[in-house]
Amino acid sequence: MRRAALLAALLVAAAPVAGQAPLDWTPDEIRAVASHGPWPPPVAVDRSNRVSGNPAAILLGQHLFEEPRLSASRQVACGDCHQAGRDWRDGRARGFGLVELDRRTPSLWNVGWQHWFGWDGASDSLWMQSIRPILDPREMGGSTRGVAKLLREDRQLACGYERAFGTAPGADDERLLVDAGKALAAFQQTLVTPRTSFDDFRDALVAGDTIAASRYPIQAQRGLKLFIGANCASCHFGSLFTNGEFGDTGVPFFARDGEVDSGRLGGIARLRASPFNRLGQHSDDATDASATRTRHVERQHRNFGEFRVPGLRQVGRTGPYMHDGSLATLDDVAQHYSEVSPDRLHSDGVPLVRALGLSGEERVDLVSFLRSLDSDTPKLLPPAPLCP
Amino acid sequence: MRAVILSIALLACGAARAEDMPIFDAHLHYSHDAWERVPPKAFIDILKKAGIRRAMVSSSNNEGTRMLQDEAPDVIVPELRPYRSRGELGTWARDPTVIPFLEDLLAKRKYVAIGEFHIYGADADLPNMRRIVELAKQHRLFLHSHSDSAAVERHFQQDPTARVLWAHSGFERPESVRAMLRKYPGLWCDLAFLTSHATNGKVNAGWREAFLEFPDRFLVGTDSFTPERLHYIAEHARWSREWLADLPREVAEKIGYRNGERLFGGPPR
Repeated sequence: MRRAALLAALLVAAAPVAGQAPLDWTPDEIRAVASHGPWPPPVAVDRSNRVSGNPAAILLGQHLFEEPRLSASRQVACGDCHQAGRDWRDGRARGFGLVELDRRTPSLWNVGWQHWFGWDGASDSLWMQSIRPILDPREMGGSTRGVAKLLREDRQLACGYERAFGTAPGADDERLLVDAGKALAAFQQTLVTPRTSFDDFRDALVAGDTIAASRYPIQAQRGLKLFIGANCASCHFGSLFTNGEFGDTGVPFFARDGEVDSGRLGGIARLRASPFNRLGQHSDDATDASATRTRHVERQHRNFGEFRVPGLRQVGRTGPYMHDGSLATLDDVAQHYSEVSPDRLHSDGVPLVRALGLSGEERVDLVSFLRSLDSDTPKLLPPAPLCP
Repeated sequence: MRAVILSIALLACGAARAEDMPIFDAHLHYSHDAWERVPPKAFIDILKKAGIRRAMVSSSNNEGTRMLQDEAPDVIVPELRPYRSRGELGTWARDPTVIPFLEDLLAKRKYVAIGEFHIYGADADLPNMRRIVELAKQHRLFLHSHSDSAAVERHFQQDPTARVLWAHSGFERPESVRAMLRKYPGLWCDLAFLTSHATNGKVNAGWREAFLEFPDRFLVGTDSFTPERLHYIAEHARWSREWLADLPREVAEKIGYRNGERLFGGPPR
């Protein structure tokens, strides 16, 4: 009797999910699953940022990220909203800098691979996006002069700047502001989520390894099938689970009574008007190739009320959801897409968003899949001194 | 030198006129979900601030149109929509309660058009759609049809004398739109929700040819399909004036407001 029990226990250990075979996956479905990997992708490099990937710039960026003296009040740092211990967001429905904002603070995980930044894509590089909140009077309320002065006058920061950029901070205030943005960007490019149980399943499925694939919960597999069947990947595309573009998901976009958040439409206008876009003098890309998107972006009526499609890695830990934090839980999100009203969507061709009509069980499956894109992340150690 | 000054003055004058040009907006909605967010008076204020002189409005369930007409009868051009809620756009064509709903409202109030309704291909031969074509003929109304070419063809097969305002120009390419306009003298096109005809204030080539060949057959429109989009009307009017200024003055005025006022009535004199 004891031997039989021991044998059974050993068998369970050998096949981690005993009695659970993976669902049947068609070749088309396997191709669809494969398209969401491999993870991680090659390291992101931004040609418009000459210190992208530079260890000294990454270190300077990490220091600047927690530096409240960048703000007008000398009390608000980037890291106050994008908190390291909270998946690089604040967990609030709407962000709070110096005042409450209209949009949710997005997580910074995997931000280095994006090509538009902010909910409205008003920035076309991570360094441009890093400058924006520093100068925004609602967020940090800082100034070009204030940032430049800090880099010049703080001995540690000036030393860190010199190590990162090869020269001591100069007299050109705007250049120093941009360089601060570039160091901040270099740091944020290092924020990469670890592999997940989905990634293990994806690789096993592609390799035809049924035993490894069977370790992925059946509920998550059913949810993944729903995700593929509902064509969610048209927007939540590739290994990042985002196409990096913008969409109207049927979520109301009144910022308050009588005032609308114009989303991508306003973002394009701000992008074009800014001296910090990739078409300007501050881009370090001599080939100008990385500016192609910016050069060709065109405003369309549909852009009004469109917001950036967020990536889904770590999505279970980065609520609330949507651009304005109006949906509290992943189940709320699943319910939204299950019941989205055609009243709110324009009928122009085949709609990308339509009511999925999911049952309660299907919503649970879908959420189970989405949670399989989460992983425990290593604790970020305090940065080394800039110039010990 | 005087000639140069005169021509500069004329250019400046022309630019100012383009900026101030009134607009006839041929594609607005004010549906059940908009009234609380933007009450009728606020809606009319939006139109006035945007320089919209006349606006053709439909609403699911038509109550919004009535409220607006009561608020500003000299501004609102009413059309009758076959929907009780906008969500009916995919079901109305087979819903037996739609025709009695329309007939009841037609008996009570005056409209200039029936629409905007959504219909595609062979569905335009369904009994509800056929009856709407008959009602339009009987009451001398336009059909405001969000449809493909195939459905428009069917409207004209059912009534060769029909007058059709083709919503969004069917999202067709300009060559196809021109072919339809040549074939059907009773067809007009609104440009709502389209951006393909203009880039950075310049009219794109294929569309320029369409506008110059048929200057009397196009109208502009915003398409306020959600309450938020009522706040896009002014921006849309500004954007429209920008690209209209790239056309000959007479053509711009026709597309901007004269066609709408000729077809559906101008402001009281």
